Amino acid sequence: MKKAILLSVAVAGAIAIAGCGSDDSTDGTGSASGGTTVTDVWTRVTTPTQTAGAVYMTIQSPDGDTLTGASVPSSVAAEAQLHETTDEGSMDSTDSMGSDDSMDSTDSMDETHSMDSGDAMMGMKEVDQIDVPAGQSVALEPGGYHIMLIDLAKPIEEGDTIPVTLDFEQAGEIEVDATARAE
Amino acid sequence: MWNRVVTPSRARPASRVRVIALAALCVAALSGCGSGGDEQAELNGMTRTPPTEVGTVSLPDESPGGDGRMTGLEGEGDGLMLVYFGYTSCPDVCPTTLADLHMALEEMPADQADRVEVGMVTVDPERDTPKVLNGYLGHFFDADGFDSFRTTDMDELARAETAFGASSKIGKPDRHGDYDVSHTAQVYAVDDTGRVLVEWPFGTPSDDIRSDLERLLSGDGPESA
Repeated sequence: MKKAILLSVAVAGAIAIAGCGSDDSTDGTGSASGGTTVTDVWTRVTTPTQTAGAVYMTIQSPDGDTLTGASVPSSVAAEAQLHETTDEGSMDSTDSMGSDDSMDSTDSMDETHSMDSGDAMMGMKEVDQIDVPAGQSVALEPGGYHIMLIDLAKPIEEGDTIPVTLDFEQAGEIEVDATARAE
Repeated sequence: MWNRVVTPSRARPASRVRVIALAALCVAALSGCGSGGDEQAELNGMTRTPPTEVGTVSLPDESPGGDGRMTGLEGEGDGLMLVYFGYTSCPDVCPTTLADLHMALEEMPADQADRVEVGMVTVDPERDTPKVLNGYLGHFFDADGFDSFRTTDMDELARAETAFGASSKIGKPDRHGDYDVSHTAQVYAVDDTGRVLVEWPFGTPSDDIRSDLERLLSGDGPESA
């Protein structure tokens, strides 16, 4: 019974946490062709010592499409690759989020466990394609998919726009401009 | 509300009381969502019981003011150090995190933000020379607002990571000789006794970081832990 109570409390807590603080904003540039649309294309400003950058966007496709590649002019970067940031290792972060005086016993239990296993590492991998299921939208966003710019020709400054050519299986090439933001 | 549930409970079977109490707890958990001002508001980040102690950890600080001296990864006086393990060739996670920290500090009262130092430990000392690291951090923070921790002794780096519960792993070079480094993406807030008061997983909104910092710096944190 005690276990059931703790579990229920944990579930309620997880729901409470999951319900908090999500906000969506769609601004920025866009371009469309063949039903597939790309919006909110942006890139982060870089420092003079940085050699890599990342481009983010939202892709929608009523009939479904697949992003198979991207390119930028050599005046921007030597290469553009589709990348995904991934969680490596395991840690149940919802279990150990926050602390609550009334649940001291559960907290110390869970958190001791996550101490032992260490915190999850985040890594990156190149991906061959990014699928956009029919009628859905896929976000390339920090911590997930992004287009990695490798060997930047020069730093990306706030307000710069970077032309990016996206290759889609269905829509073909879509040209977009990524606006550089400092956030 | 609690009393009204408990008072009639004497006449009821114990199991019923538990169900009611559980329902009350669930309601309490739900109503706690997103409210910053109630009396038992929790920190947004993650806390540990007992807190991680990192007071024994020090690394060379290669920032302009650090001169390569061994420096503790902890706050000074009544301040906090925000410790982050990362590397500058990281295009996604690291700049996102540092930009969030920058935004959190910028939107705090200046007298509180002045008490916060950002300490980045490079997990890629080969490419992150002191110059590269300082140029990178100087982009996000004031010159006196950051420490650039760098050691080329990978065992020393590993010991520092272990103390925080962090880890990193250098990946295989690609055809251009570029490589990625996997690393823990948490930010740790350390007080002047070397105690980690809170840690924020990757993706914690800057507003949540800001409000946690403001609470900790106004002495309203989990000091009783």
